Amino acid sequence: MSVEDVDAVEPIVGRYVHADIGGVDHRIYFEENGPEDGIPLLCQHTAGNNCQEWRHLLTDETIAEEFRVIAYDLPFHGKSVPPVSQRWWTEDYLMTAERFTESIVAIADALELDEPIYMGSSMGGNITLELADWYPDRFRALIGLECAAHSPGFYIDWLDHPHVNTTEVNAYACWGLMAPQSPESTRRETMYLYEQGATGVFKGDLYYYSVDHDYREKLDDVDATRVPLYVVNGEYDYLTTPDDGRETAAGVGEGAVAVEMAEIGHFPMSEHPELFNAYLREILADVTGDRDEALPDVLTPEDVGVEMTPRPATE
Amino acid sequence: MTASDLASHEWWERYKRVVNADPEMRVRGHQHFEEDFVVDIDGDRFLVRMEGGRVEEVLPNPGLNERWAFGVRGSRTAWEEFVREVPPPFNHEIVASHYRTAVRDEPDHLELTGDNEAIFQNLRAFQRALDLMRVAHNDGGS
Repeated sequence: MSVEDVDAVEPIVGRYVHADIGGVDHRIYFEENGPEDGIPLLCQHTAGNNCQEWRHLLTDETIAEEFRVIAYDLPFHGKSVPPVSQRWWTEDYLMTAERFTESIVAIADALELDEPIYMGSSMGGNITLELADWYPDRFRALIGLECAAHSPGFYIDWLDHPHVNTTEVNAYACWGLMAPQSPESTRRETMYLYEQGATGVFKGDLYYYSVDHDYREKLDDVDATRVPLYVVNGEYDYLTTPDDGRETAAGVGEGAVAVEMAEIGHFPMSEHPELFNAYLREILADVTGDRDEALPDVLTPEDVGVEMTPRPATE
Repeated sequence: MTASDLASHEWWERYKRVVNADPEMRVRGHQHFEEDFVVDIDGDRFLVRMEGGRVEEVLPNPGLNERWAFGVRGSRTAWEEFVREVPPPFNHEIVASHYRTAVRDEPDHLELTGDNEAIFQNLRAFQRALDLMRVAHNDGGS
């Protein structure tokens, strides 16, 4: 179905849950859709963004029929305000691998999710390696979108600097991470979401993404036979390319699968929801055992029956 | 357009018309884009003079009397890929291309040059101005 083809009142419900992260109470905003007894599909947004990136997955009737799709805002992102008990304004926001994994597991615990599938993109994709390494028994499967062992060079001082318009710079530093084939409206919406981030949060997230996360020498520590790991990267992702994904999955070995998504980029769920949701159905069918054949090395629009819309002559 | 037309006098004239007719260069502060920038194609340099988000003129072979804050350089191959209607991965946008050059040390991608502070101060308007080369080259698209 078209991503625009939704009822006047969408089935997404938004609520708050309190999670204990590092001994501190955090008020976490999350949105969900799908049956209460469906397989939980826990969705993590990209650096500096929020759960709205997943709105088109949350309204995908086919997926939400079987899965309980849940997307949350990490602390400091979207509607998850900073913890009221902390003097957070006296220090820079800084994300680390420990803080990130602890947050994800705390949110899954607070929501009392039984064997959820975890899925995240970009920093949310990279963290699947730490989750597989440190919390292999907490998840049914891990889907790392735009995932690699290392993604250097994007911890950039200008993303939090008084001489630049950080609202716009944080967004448009990411413009080229999307495929030119993706619809203009959804690419623009992705940037609009980026423009909503609080000061310093995008840069702070990128500390994890580009500095703290480095699994190049630690892939042997990841045992994907305990939790299946899907490394799924878009053709136009220049930060973590499909070849980076293949190297990562090969380094992990048994239980890890690399899939390239053709004609899409680093923000698949929001830059081209119709195509991504179709790709994701193939991967979820593999997770649940409903797919007979192994996933292909490259998924293409033709494989999943999505017709790419020619771009208008002028936009 | 054929690849050989890239950066001809007629090409730059068409580019100027495209930028100066672009609604996005008129709004959200982009109408204050005043920094001149240099496009370097295999050593052939063109100074694009900006005034209020509009291309005032394009000056080939700028000399010692001119000044600019930043620019983009690359091989003709990289530029020809950049302006294709559907450009290939990693040569489809300037930050993408620069990342593959500067961080991953790959050949034949475009590279940002000059004052990084000025680049980031003008990032979106500069990026849009570069993307509009694709529109001018293909008579449409974004």
